[in-house]
Amino acid sequence: MFLKVENLEKSYGTGDSSVKVLKGISFEVEKGNICVLLGASGSGKSTLLNIIGGIDTADAGTITIDGDKLENLSEKEISLYRRNHLGYIFQAYNLIPNLTVKENIEVGAYLSKSPLDIDELIKTLGLWEHKDKMPNQLSGGQQQRTAIGRAVVKNPDILLCDEPTGALDYNTSKEILALLEEVNEKYNCTIIMVTHNDALKLMADKVIKLRDGQIRREYINEVRTKSQDLDW
Amino acid sequence: MNSDNSKRIKNPLNKRIIRELKQEIGKNLAIFIFIAATIGFISGFYVADNSMKYAYDESFEKYNIEDGNFELSEKISDIVEEKISEYAKVYENFYIEKDIDDQRKVRIFTDRKEVNKVCVIEGEIPNEKNQIALDRLFAEKNKLKIGDNVTIGETDYKITGFVALPDYSALFSDNYDLMFDATHFGVGIVSKEQFDTYGNSKVYYSYSWKINTENPSKELNDKQKEEINNEIKDILINENAGIVNFIVEADNQAIHFTGNDMGSDKAMMTVLLYVVIVILAFIFAVTTMSTIDKESAVIGTLRASGYTKGEMLRHYIILPILVTFVASIIGNILGYTIFKQFVVDMYYNSYSLPTYETLWNAQAFVMTTVIPAIVMIVVNLLVLNCKFKLSPLKFLRHDLKKKKNSKALKLPNLSFMMRFKLRIIIQNIPNYTMLFIGILFASILALFGLMMLPLLNHSGDEIIEHMKGNYQYILKMPIEIDNENAQKCMIGSVINDIKGTHEDEITVYGIEENSKYFSDVKLKDSTSSVVVSEAILEKYKLKIGDTVKVKSEFTDKKYEFKIGGSYYYPQGLAIFMRSDKYREVFELDKDYFNAYLSDEKLDELNETAILTKITKTDMLKVTTQLTDSFGGIVPMMAGFAVLMSMLIIYLLSKVVIEKNAGSISMVKILGYSDREVSRLYVTATGIAAILSALISIPLSYIIVKELFYMFMVDFSGWVSYYVKPIVFVQVFSLTILSYIVVAALLYKKIRKIPMEQVLKNVEL
Repeated sequence: MFLKVENLEKSYGTGDSSVKVLKGISFEVEKGNICVLLGASGSGKSTLLNIIGGIDTADAGTITIDGDKLENLSEKEISLYRRNHLGYIFQAYNLIPNLTVKENIEVGAYLSKSPLDIDELIKTLGLWEHKDKMPNQLSGGQQQRTAIGRAVVKNPDILLCDEPTGALDYNTSKEILALLEEVNEKYNCTIIMVTHNDALKLMADKVIKLRDGQIRREYINEVRTKSQDLDW
Repeated sequence: MNSDNSKRIKNPLNKRIIRELKQEIGKNLAIFIFIAATIGFISGFYVADNSMKYAYDESFEKYNIEDGNFELSEKISDIVEEKISEYAKVYENFYIEKDIDDQRKVRIFTDRKEVNKVCVIEGEIPNEKNQIALDRLFAEKNKLKIGDNVTIGETDYKITGFVALPDYSALFSDNYDLMFDATHFGVGIVSKEQFDTYGNSKVYYSYSWKINTENPSKELNDKQKEEINNEIKDILINENAGIVNFIVEADNQAIHFTGNDMGSDKAMMTVLLYVVIVILAFIFAVTTMSTIDKESAVIGTLRASGYTKGEMLRHYIILPILVTFVASIIGNILGYTIFKQFVVDMYYNSYSLPTYETLWNAQAFVMTTVIPAIVMIVVNLLVLNCKFKLSPLKFLRHDLKKKKNSKALKLPNLSFMMRFKLRIIIQNIPNYTMLFIGILFASILALFGLMMLPLLNHSGDEIIEHMKGNYQYILKMPIEIDNENAQKCMIGSVINDIKGTHEDEITVYGIEENSKYFSDVKLKDSTSSVVVSEAILEKYKLKIGDTVKVKSEFTDKKYEFKIGGSYYYPQGLAIFMRSDKYREVFELDKDYFNAYLSDEKLDELNETAILTKITKTDMLKVTTQLTDSFGGIVPMMAGFAVLMSMLIIYLLSKVVIEKNAGSISMVKILGYSDREVSRLYVTATGIAAILSALISIPLSYIIVKELFYMFMVDFSGWVSYYVKPIVFVQVFSLTILSYIVVAALLYKKIRKIPMEQVLKNVEL
């Protein structure tokens, strides 16, 4: 199994004000799969994603990626792990405002020993005509495409997406989802996507529904629905 | 589809550097100009100082400077000369002193061929009668040119050249003067033929000596030199040679003051440079922190993507280092070209230095280029490292405070607007603390610059007001005259013998009972204690009841006096005692006296009987020279302080405005006008600036007092610390003036913040 999460627990705060946000989460994801984490606000899905991404730590439990246990890694090694294996996409695009589209993608490429061809990727992202524009000259969808490009260009093993369409309209959201599908198929990278949009469960290989820090339901779709056929 | 690994992508973040530079051109240019100008001036100073110090140090060998000199009341006898010749060779260095007018006098020598050789700056050495080559500095101060005619004493001279005498690089007429005075005292060279015509005038039998060395290349150490100098002194005392003066080269202010001053100026400039760089480094760090706050989410994303803490840290300190480094290089170019000449002129305006050549100064380059860059790196690393210790998640959540505010501070029941302003101040305490430090530093500079001239004027006025008689005559022997204005007294001098202090000459007064001129000195009936001038208490940090230790100028006799009281005597270091005690202490005859104090000139005194005549001009020497030396630098320091204040207030206020751009945008949406918003934010900064200025004034008074003490403690003598009240007003006004200029700029900046700013941030 490529990604294995076992008995993950996490609390915020101390003493009486302590809140347990993850209560013994366990699941597995195979290499090249799309896994959707569904749940309402406060269900613990973003916390789970952040722990998998190594930017937050669990109080208990283990995460194993391709045989490596995260809890055994030092801060430096975790940084290296993120550098070599992960790509991150957020709801807010978080592009560098004074770098062009191409340069923003180069920011990701710089981290990788074997980055993807930048020009080819920009074409795949549909941003070729915009490659020399600054982020403030782009629409929201174009900015999110750039953010995806920045995450994908380093050819990561896992792409972590935190509400990637949360700030986008219906059509643009579908374009972005199609792009993620394309990236998954073309580069065989595992995608873990956090969303509160229930319709996206259909495009996943695996669906995990969270409520109050616990897995309420976990299942596998035998056939993935193409994002273009999704509706909500 | 993978790209070629060999074509490693250069860090794309570096492309931001130039763009950041352009985006923040105002801030970067201001800091750049400030650093370049500061480094330019200081590099110019180092280069000029080093080149001139080299020329000065070289002059010891080049012009064969004496190992010491002594003055006798008559020509040296063959026996004494022979005895001394065992240790040193003695050279005649006779001179006469003549007045140009009541205030200016010239010490005239013949050309020196062997020791203290003359450096001709311009023109030539006289070779005929009625010609003179004057000291360059004295001539310049008195607007005399080559070819001019000048009357000195009773003789008319044509000026044939300008010279520098290596034993008068600082024009001290007396080695124990607190300060030299190049305007009223000068030296000159005449031909032997001319000097021989002075037969009827008083000739000062001054001799220089050079210690015999078996092997000229073998330098004697200080101890060996001291032993030989003591042998020479003993011969002169034991042989009753009529010793009037005895000065070893190391103690000769006219020779060493220049070199010491160059060294101390350099230390002061180095401190100034590094304080300025540290402050600017902190400002850079504070503004970079503000940028980090603004780019928090981007940084979080990059950290989450695998950028390390070190990579982020390096990225954010490149710009400050780049600006500092380029400014340092430009500053150095300016230093070698423009500022060097300014400093050279400043030195030539104070000292009588020989010619010099500009030398490349590697140490100055390191001190003004490498070290500022290192200071910038260290300060920024220290400050920013704390920030980058935070986790990527905290950056993503814009949660960059290490400590959470546990409770909101309860404010008094003031108006809403006032409470709003107070909240802004409380929220920006770290920035305002930096503002306070900057304003404090600027206030110190401004106070030091602005207080000096009033202090010197005040000191001069006080000296005149408290002078004991307009004329003080020190006699070679007691001579009775019949003049009711003239009052007998005793004036002598001793050297302080307090460990760890500068060797100063202290004047000792023996005062007759019912003295007209010292009626207010409260001498105790007891003969066991003395009254000292307040300067003695201040300079040596003594108090009433302590003992002041002194020693004789020429012998090893030591004296200890219990301090029974103090007396306000602005002339400087003095001890007052009853005349009978004076005679007892110094083992003098019952009827002995050696001085007259008088409000009028005592024409009945024969010139040959007078050892020294002290007038108001002599008393004002210190203040005159200090005024002359500081005249040029004072407006510069004040100007520098104003610029520094403006820069600090502007940059830090800008940070406050940028940090609050969201809130400003929001209150604009709520309907506040630009004017009202500006009043809120600019006034808050104004309150912080005014408070900083107010707190800075007493603090800078104390700090400058300490600096002034450190500055004065190495001088021979003392000037008391005094700040004219108006100077405080000026210093405060300078800060407020800086703030008013900055407020106008800030107002413009606030107006430019769009209402959608806050909405944009939410969207992001």
